[in-house]
Amino acid sequence: MSKMSLSTRMILVLTLITVLSGGILAGWDTITKPKIAFHRQEALKAAIGDVLPAHDTYTREETEFGTIYIAIATRDSSEHLVGIAFMAVGSGFQGELRIMVGLSPDMTQLTGIKVLEQIETPGLGTKIVVDPSNKQDPYWFPAQFRGVHLSPEIVVIKNAKPTRNNEVQGITGATISSKAVTNILNDQIAHIKTVWPSKGGPES
Amino acid sequence: MTEENIPQAQPEQPETPKKPVKPKKDPRAKLYKPETPLILASSPHFHTKDTVPRIMWNVVAALVPATVLALVYFQWAAVGIILTSVSSALIAEMLVNRVRGESFTIPDGSALITGLLLALTLPPSFSLGGTALGSVFAIVVGKHFFGGLGYNIFNPALLGRAFLQASFPVPMTTWTWPLTARYADVDGITAATPLGLFKFEGVTSELSGLLTGNISGSLGETSAIAILIGGIYLLIRKYADWRIPLSFLLSTFLVSGVFWLISPESYPSPVFQLFSGGLMLGAFFMATDMVTSPVTARGAWIFGAGAGFILVIIRLFGGLPEGVMYSILLMNAFTPLINRYTRPKFFGEIRA
Amino acid sequence: MSSTLSLKTEFIKGIWKENPVMASLLGLCPTLAVTNAANNGLAMGLATTFVLLSSSLMISALRNFIPHQVRIAGYIVIIATFVTVADRFLAAYFPVISASLGPYIPLIVVNCLILGRQEAFSSRNGIGRSLLDSLGMGIGFIIVLVVLGIIREILGSGSIFGIAILGDWFTPWMVMILPPGAFLTLGILIALANWYNDPSRSKERGTVS
Repeated sequence: MSKMSLSTRMILVLTLITVLSGGILAGWDTITKPKIAFHRQEALKAAIGDVLPAHDTYTREETEFGTIYIAIATRDSSEHLVGIAFMAVGSGFQGELRIMVGLSPDMTQLTGIKVLEQIETPGLGTKIVVDPSNKQDPYWFPAQFRGVHLSPEIVVIKNAKPTRNNEVQGITGATISSKAVTNILNDQIAHIKTVWPSKGGPES
Repeated sequence: MTEENIPQAQPEQPETPKKPVKPKKDPRAKLYKPETPLILASSPHFHTKDTVPRIMWNVVAALVPATVLALVYFQWAAVGIILTSVSSALIAEMLVNRVRGESFTIPDGSALITGLLLALTLPPSFSLGGTALGSVFAIVVGKHFFGGLGYNIFNPALLGRAFLQASFPVPMTTWTWPLTARYADVDGITAATPLGLFKFEGVTSELSGLLTGNISGSLGETSAIAILIGGIYLLIRKYADWRIPLSFLLSTFLVSGVFWLISPESYPSPVFQLFSGGLMLGAFFMATDMVTSPVTARGAWIFGAGAGFILVIIRLFGGLPEGVMYSILLMNAFTPLINRYTRPKFFGEIRA
Repeated sequence: MSSTLSLKTEFIKGIWKENPVMASLLGLCPTLAVTNAANNGLAMGLATTFVLLSSSLMISALRNFIPHQVRIAGYIVIIATFVTVADRFLAAYFPVISASLGPYIPLIVVNCLILGRQEAFSSRNGIGRSLLDSLGMGIGFIIVLVVLGIIREILGSGSIFGIAILGDWFTPWMVMILPPGAFLTLGILIALANWYNDPSRSKERGTVS
């Protein structure tokens, strides 16, 4: 060791440390990777389950606007389209919002939404996910989107109960977050409509 | 470990200046070395009869018109908030005096002003518990954490309000109509302020309402006329630097005027900007706070102009409809810097 | 230069007298960022302590082999390895906590507290002392994070460890779960600690009254 020149020793020690580190990480990765993938899959499945009516399975289809999840229920030994879900991404009040959106097969109504990622103002904008101040119905804001009509587009109204079927009530004090959600939905649903033709509805 | 630390504490003692008013030595006192140009005028120096209490009580007198109108418009709600805010401020001041072991500073009136100003910036429907919290925060954190009156960087009342705004964002932006307004018969209805109406609905309000104050808004900020009466009294008695409100209002008018000229449909007129929200109260009573605004004439112009610019930017492009509080607090933070760079030259001094 | 303190002092010092947050103001980024709830503070404290302990073990064991000139590079690789291990562990077994801590677990790599202890202590002391030092520092860090988390959670959400303790009468102070609440609470805690430690306090009290 002492006969070795300093630079050789530096290279040797650093190499040794990095090889050791790589070994530990590679081993640890093989243990944790399946579990992490499993959690991710479960989270996706749970989110799709939250925004679409009951279904047995779903398939995925890649489009130029991201992945579309097509939910299928098996009834009377044949497969029925229950709805489609996709991840809508856009800007909220402070940062990116990622929303799982469920659409009815004829693309005229929402079957539900779930905000998966957000960094809105705690206590205000975060009510788009859950509103702890509303003890009876903490999920009143996302729940409003179930069954809301898409034509001409979803509209936020303030300080009043919705009267039309394309209206949702905004969050007091978080108008911008409420509008961000509907803007993202309106915008991205329009995109999805161009790549996924409506199925079912009156003509089928 | 006790013995180790004593030598570090000692150097402070010889530098403690002779301060007859405050017998308690303050560690910050060593900052004021003789070469620091605290007094900007050259000799001869006259002793004025202005004392801290005298200035403060004049400010209280100047706030009377706005306070009276708040009582007229919002009645018992205003009584509750003003009494709570002022009494909590006084109690907090007394307790801090006690903890710091200094003489009682309530007679200087500054705690009273902080409590009163805070009350005037609160919405009429705000809870009394929240009011007391904001008032205590203003006195304890806003003033005494920085070293007491004269050492605070930020206007204490505004800091208290900023704390409440961050803590209770919904109640702080929930407004009710004055009891004298035409919509008052509908009980418990929430009302948007003129600025909120414009920001979220694109509706401008009538100027007459903005002037007399018969509109929704914070207790003391609705009537531009009442504030102007008190503010002009302060300017005439020279207890506030006229340059600060003038430059603040002028800058707000000019900057918002530029946007209005570019696109009259999407931006409100500069006249609406001048008379709506808390601008008048802020410009005359908050920005002119002697402790937190620049001491030089040039500095006062810069301070007001900067605050006006920030205000318009926040009102037009920010997430909140109103920005007076943040514009003044931000400029408060710049005050030491402004003081340093607007220091008058010494006679014969040559800038390198 | 190895430490001459007794083993007990070596352990105790990190908890109060040389507390990484309260006395040295190290590791402020996670301290301020994740303490909006007691749970998060505890998880972050445990993860940091794990990294601190394991890298101390490695570095004090290797201290005579790592050439002085490349020690920082070596330390960082070792620290980053254990941080990745902790990050993957949380993601695999505690996905909820992992999601709520977000990027702050990977950011333990740049926590000055960890590199600071390696540079100042583990690289100059034996394995036993280094582990004791790291354990003390880690516990000190956990205590501060949990205390901060508890205070901020009570005032900001009306709960402790996710269990609501304050009734409906309490309106949460939103500011406490926002960044300003972290700065305010930490500042007040440090002020109180300094006031408590101030040697002139007892003397002053004697002369004033």
